Amino acid sequence: METLYIEATKATPEVNFNPDTRTLSIKGQSYPENAFKYFEPLIKWLDEFVRQVKDGEKTQLELSLPYINTSSSKCIMMILEKSEEAVEKGKNIVVNWFYDEENESELECAMEFKEFADLEFNIIPNRQI
Amino acid sequence: MDKNLIEIQKVLGASHILISFSGRFSQGIIQELGEAIKEHMKNEDKPKSKIFNVFSIFIEQAQNINNYFASKKNDSINEAITDSAIVCIGKSKGDYFIWSGNLVENSDVPPLSDQLNLIRGLDKEELKKLYKEQMKKDIQPGQNGAGMGLIDIARKSSVPIEYSFEERDKSFSFYELKAIV
Repeated sequence: METLYIEATKATPEVNFNPDTRTLSIKGQSYPENAFKYFEPLIKWLDEFVRQVKDGEKTQLELSLPYINTSSSKCIMMILEKSEEAVEKGKNIVVNWFYDEENESELECAMEFKEFADLEFNIIPNRQI
Repeated sequence: MDKNLIEIQKVLGASHILISFSGRFSQGIIQELGEAIKEHMKNEDKPKSKIFNVFSIFIEQAQNINNYFASKKNDSINEAITDSAIVCIGKSKGDYFIWSGNLVENSDVPPLSDQLNLIRGLDKEELKKLYKEQMKKDIQPGQNGAGMGLIDIARKSSVPIEYSFEERDKSFSFYELKAIV
């Protein structure tokens, strides 16, 4: 399976889904004109990855989304729901959600996703790169 | 000629408007205006969460308008309405407002008005519940937006959203929405 890499633009995040390190990262603000179209290849890639990854092998979903519009939020929710389903079938997927410590709205957003998703979900302040 | 422009400037100033755009939007214009308001608020040393809320509401309002126009893409009325959009961001008594308007078809007024009325009447907890329901709903084919924009705007506003419809002729009404942060 090949790495899915998409460069960031002003309104779309950087995507780096690496099947070898099993690190799936989405980083940057997201408010494209058509979020469903933007996220479609990510969701397809994830479907394929979930089919191929061995049970129990740890996969990290790393999200760092300083701002996402509502339709992008819905797409992120779809990714989390697909991960939930995979975990129910024996896969091991953990979410690491990075946020800016100085922005309480970003933390609220992270906490809400944690509440909406039934997954191991870590909320981590200020991403260290 | 100059006199006219100064009159416009006076009106903008008296209305406490910092940034405004009137006419046909594109995603590119939305991005530029969004970045401009972020920059402006950063220079004013506003807290990050306030900048975040103003920016979010602006994006949702502008994209709602764009999505509405896109939904009329194949209609002959599209030309008549796409130039009707206006969006303003301003500051009055320390609060920021995001105020937008556009023409809508008269037949679209009752459902939109019902939805706005419902959202306006909900408290933050009820808005969160409705938001979660929409978040978990399946996407319909051809759907442009998530149907969550207005709920999100209401959640991020510090006071209930204000809206109005003014009938222009037998086909169209002018719809205005104002949110305050």
